[in-house]
Amino acid sequence: MIPQAVLDQWYPVAMTSLVGPWPGRETQLLGRPIMVFKTQSGAVSVQTAQGQAVAVTLAYGHVWACLGTPAQDLFALPEAAQPGRRLVDCGVVRVKCSPLRAVENFLDIAHFPFVHTDVLGAEPHTEVGRYEVQIRDDVDEVWATKVHFYQPQAAKSAAGGIVTEYMYRVAAPTAAVLYKTCPNRTNEWDVIGIFVQPLAEDLCDVYPYMALFDDVTPQADLIHFQQMIFLQDRSILENQIPRLLPLDPGMEIPTQADLTSVAYRRWLKRKGLTYGAQVVAA
Amino acid sequence: MILYDYILSASCYKVRLMAALLGIKLDLVAVDFHPGRAHKSAAFRDLNPAGSIPVLVDGDLVLTESTAMLVYLAQIAGPQWLGEASPQSAARVQNWLAFSGRLNSSLGLARLHDMLHFPADITACRTAGHLCLRELEAHLTQVRLEGRIFLEGTAPSIADIACFPNVALAPDGGVELRDYPSVRLWQRAVRSLPQFIEMPGIHRLHDLKPAPHSGAAA
Amino acid sequence: MTNWKASGLSKDLPPANVMHADWQGVDLAVWRSASGRLSAWVDRCPHRGMRLSHGFVRGETLACIYHGWTYGVTGACTHIPAHPDMTPPATITATRFEVTERGGVIWIAAKDDPTAPPDIAGFQPLRSLTVQVGEQALLQALAADAPGLTEAEGGLRGTVQIAGLDTQICLMLQPKAQETTLHILCGAGAGPAQVSRWAESLRRQIEDRSAP
Repeated sequence: MIPQAVLDQWYPVAMTSLVGPWPGRETQLLGRPIMVFKTQSGAVSVQTAQGQAVAVTLAYGHVWACLGTPAQDLFALPEAAQPGRRLVDCGVVRVKCSPLRAVENFLDIAHFPFVHTDVLGAEPHTEVGRYEVQIRDDVDEVWATKVHFYQPQAAKSAAGGIVTEYMYRVAAPTAAVLYKTCPNRTNEWDVIGIFVQPLAEDLCDVYPYMALFDDVTPQADLIHFQQMIFLQDRSILENQIPRLLPLDPGMEIPTQADLTSVAYRRWLKRKGLTYGAQVVAA
Repeated sequence: MILYDYILSASCYKVRLMAALLGIKLDLVAVDFHPGRAHKSAAFRDLNPAGSIPVLVDGDLVLTESTAMLVYLAQIAGPQWLGEASPQSAARVQNWLAFSGRLNSSLGLARLHDMLHFPADITACRTAGHLCLRELEAHLTQVRLEGRIFLEGTAPSIADIACFPNVALAPDGGVELRDYPSVRLWQRAVRSLPQFIEMPGIHRLHDLKPAPHSGAAA
Repeated sequence: MTNWKASGLSKDLPPANVMHADWQGVDLAVWRSASGRLSAWVDRCPHRGMRLSHGFVRGETLACIYHGWTYGVTGACTHIPAHPDMTPPATITATRFEVTERGGVIWIAAKDDPTAPPDIAGFQPLRSLTVQVGEQALLQALAADAPGLTEAEGGLRGTVQIAGLDTQICLMLQPKAQETTLHILCGAGAGPAQVSRWAESLRRQIEDRSAP
């Protein structure tokens, strides 16, 4: 039985640019088969196997669907419409893991030196300093700010090592966005997201997404860079035990570097968003 | 020398790895294989009608098979990587190059299925992959009994580089390597080669570098 | 009756290496330090649940590949790279199993076992090989195909004709869910390469017969 709170959320189900006519993309959401297709009038529709149309919204290059009654509008990402930014769809990658573990990994910096070695981090620069985390009740989102980390190659366009500043944002249960120092514009942030489609509690399709200030780097290079980063994480995500994200303390041991993850788990538990989570300690 | 490249392709990685081990600098041209399917575009098929990657271009030479690229790079910069000169050795190296094609159509396809939604009979791919791994394990068991570690002769060769990527990436396609101890030790030997480079799915062997802290002395 | 289970061959785990092992359905990370000390732990980093068998050995420690959390041979966490100046709390430990070596075989038990693992003196460890049949079916097949082998502690021993030679063989069985790993040791008789090929052939016969 899937909790109503889970059904009432928005989830990504396709890249808008790749949606074709009926039957379109045959996929699943929260374990239920769905079809994502273009109607004759050109609108995008999402239907269950029983032919039931569900709520759809198009945003940030992706099709978002809600199987229940949307509890709120899809989160705002104003940067996506900001002039001068390049929006880069980085495809979709399937991962045999809980959708929540995929999001949590995206919020984590301490793994950079070991998993994204010589790109997003490198020994001996492993220390994660204090940063600020809050659950913002006004927007109902988890935010981490003032995160700093030394990075050998922070972006495709970065020339050398820099201390990068990050802000992290959990905008929906399975969608997270980060804002990081832009190597090309000192007063702007690069925006990188992952939108995670929960196929099942332990299986997901992950759509990396970028909105960057970078007029120079060819599109394919930007896609390769982001796919490289995400695929370095994939073998980690498929080898965490248990597969589901434990929400009860005691099962896993956080430190100060993990405050974003602690807040994310607390927020999920408080909202009853337990799809892909292990609630009772095994 | 230009390599039309995709970061997640095991076959492209074969060529990048060989070039790195030989100290050859490649000019990489990123091809939007996924999601753009740029390798199937008209422009790309003017270069390679098969619409496959990698493609290696050096002046007038255009190569579209990764094992041929390994031969070419080794001929230019490291003939010792071609194996020993005997007819038997030369033929055995060719045998492994062809075998690497079987790895690609089994383990490689399983990986593309599990990761990028490629259509495939996943059970058949994995079964064929395990069959390949058993052959590899049997050979490497024999090799170790003779006090060696690489596939052919006493030194690494293009045979090892041709076979390594799809084997190392097998878990991406749901094929675990746990039951192949000699394959595990062979992979470690390849990963320990000077100037070895990784690709996503193959992590750095951090143990090759000393710990920057004192905790490892505990 | 000993609780030690054959879990691998010593020669397949050189110093500064880690591997996965299955102990009665429990996933373990088995690793050997640079100085040669062997440890067997539950295959899970207490931090985020990552398999420690994917980790790396530096000196006398095993580190997790995910965040580099580092554990000494006692199982205690000695270093957390995200907080390099902090001494990790003593409560952060890997879960240890007992592990020992005898006759070139790695033996694992859940808790300290006063008994010794089986004595397999006179045999040389050859290789481990997994057969896609359960333990009972494998024992039945071996009784038919290699009647010279009889049950001994931890597995089977006896004489088998290989390449025309009476060959002393010892098989240590490691049963898993749907399959069985054989740790093969050989004594006098055919050479190791011939025994290895015999084992491959035997596996094909057994699996062909059990195929639906």
